[in-house]
Amino acid sequence: MSDINLLLNRVSKRFGGNQAVDHVSFSVTKPELIGMIGPNGAGKTTLTNLMSGMLKPTTGTIYLNGRRIDGHPAYDVTRAGLGRTFQITRALGRMTVLENMMVPGLAHRPRARRLDLEERAHEILGLLTIDHLTNEYSRALSGGQRKLLELGRLLMLEPSVIILDEPFAGVHPRLQETIYQYIHRVHEDGKAIILISHDMDAVFELSHRLLVLHHGALIADGAPQAVRSDPAVIEAYLGHDEDD
Amino acid sequence: MAILNRIESAIDESIGRRRLGYALLGLIILFFLWFPNDASQSNYAKTVFISGFFYAIMSSSWALLAGIAGQFSFGHMAFMGIGAYVAGLVARDGIVFASLGIGITAESFSAIGTIIIGTLIAGLVGLVIGWLLLRLRSAYLALFTIAFSELFRIMMLTEYDYTGGSNGLSLRPLLQIADIDAARQVEYYLMFALLIVCLLAMYWVANSPIGLFLRAMREDEDAASALGVNVVRYKILVFVFTSMIVGLAGAIFYSDVGSERIIPEQLEVLQMSLIIAYAVIGGMESLIGAAAGAFISRYLLEAMREVVISLPLGLTLPDGSDAFVWETGAWRFAVFGVVMVFTLRYMRNGLLYPIITWFSGRDLAMQETVAKRDDDDDLDEQAGASDE
Repeated sequence: MSDINLLLNRVSKRFGGNQAVDHVSFSVTKPELIGMIGPNGAGKTTLTNLMSGMLKPTTGTIYLNGRRIDGHPAYDVTRAGLGRTFQITRALGRMTVLENMMVPGLAHRPRARRLDLEERAHEILGLLTIDHLTNEYSRALSGGQRKLLELGRLLMLEPSVIILDEPFAGVHPRLQETIYQYIHRVHEDGKAIILISHDMDAVFELSHRLLVLHHGALIADGAPQAVRSDPAVIEAYLGHDEDD
Repeated sequence: MAILNRIESAIDESIGRRRLGYALLGLIILFFLWFPNDASQSNYAKTVFISGFFYAIMSSSWALLAGIAGQFSFGHMAFMGIGAYVAGLVARDGIVFASLGIGITAESFSAIGTIIIGTLIAGLVGLVIGWLLLRLRSAYLALFTIAFSELFRIMMLTEYDYTGGSNGLSLRPLLQIADIDAARQVEYYLMFALLIVCLLAMYWVANSPIGLFLRAMREDEDAASALGVNVVRYKILVFVFTSMIVGLAGAIFYSDVGSERIIPEQLEVLQMSLIIAYAVIGGMESLIGAAAGAFISRYLLEAMREVVISLPLGLTLPDGSDAFVWETGAWRFAVFGVVMVFTLRYMRNGLLYPIITWFSGRDLAMQETVAKRDDDDDLDEQAGASDE
């Protein structure tokens, strides 16, 4: 198990009568770049919340870097090495861009020198082409710039597994290109990435492996080309013929 | 306008705004140090200032709790009351652990000892309340703390045998100076020193990594948590810290420094509303702003008790006088209410916010932000349109 970064074993989540996630099992080993797709309501966000500690599974276990994390609070999961972004960007509005970067920096490395963390933050912001906005309030940033800021904050955490929830939504192609470069670079640095997106072109282009969720269950797990032709996946997206 | 801009540029190029701000702050502190030495000032004026310092501690600590950490609590006066009542009860009855057969007599405690115990108990209750509030946000948090505050007030009011009911409870006098003038002077400096110490402590917290985490928590608890911030720890910590500050302030103020006894009336929701109003008027995201807002508001409310109105155009009253005194009574609070409405409608960051941001230079940064974001905003709008 030492090579496995993230391991989900029959993880389920039930809200009342609704089975949002249904016995999902898979593992992620670095440096994998995994796409996670599924129709609306398939359970992608719930599964992300379960992995990141925002929700507690009804059943099942989750291990991160050899440590059991299911039921642990989100901050603990983050410190254990799992970073995530949100579908709707959650920049800390009345804080500057640099402060947004320093929050994960100081949370992750409380004993580090502030100047070192600031230097690292500037470096990351430069990589994301938003270093000119360092001292600005993040509420004043454009939607695309906020997406980049969220990605930058993740790097301050130095996570081993990253979950990106809809990183391309509503972002101009020029900034999308920056996000593409970010994903490639982070992946080359040896981190595992789970990419959730409705942008199929991006998912198929970037991912080495695809997970497909439908009604909370994992219906496919494999290479993108194999998943594309999987009958269960086609049915999930296109529905089945009523005559069948 | 051009003259103002030139003055602004001259300041930026010479001393700098921040330094000018510190210089101004130094002058204000010097004024407060000099004030009680001015022979023309009455003891009443000093009492008003002492009360102003007390409310400045209350409002600035509430600003830390609500404005910086985002915990909109109505329990602040109750924590102050806990500090004061516990100090008073210990001074009168001592401490008895009946089950262990241990007791410490009241005489064993000095006034400072009772204040320390009052402060610690306020912090302990803050710990419990902070823990109970963990899952509550916004309106629910406010309602919970109102309920807690009222519960405490009613307990103090009805448990007459222990608390003195509506007559209140006397604490052990902290200072025992026979000369009234000298006593007032020492009380003045004591309360002013307490305000400075509390502000420095809060300023240190607000500007440390803890302050950064508190602000992150205020902005978005889930996002802060996902960034590795232990929201539970910092939520409880800020409750304990601010509860201890107001517990300490209450225990000292009612130890015959600002007032000779604590009464349940002081714990009413109206009093808490005033604390919030002072902070809002001054600027609830700024410790200095909230403290200044409280002090200035208290002073003006006191000054407006009696307003002398001179008659214009040589008019006189039947008794021959050309002026009369208007005893404003509750009307002064109505004026205060109008200021509050104005602040919330037009200057939500507080009346002092423009001054504070000017001295800090943040207004310049904000103007630049708007300009810098425009390009990418346009791009995003185009992207949004094409997505649809």
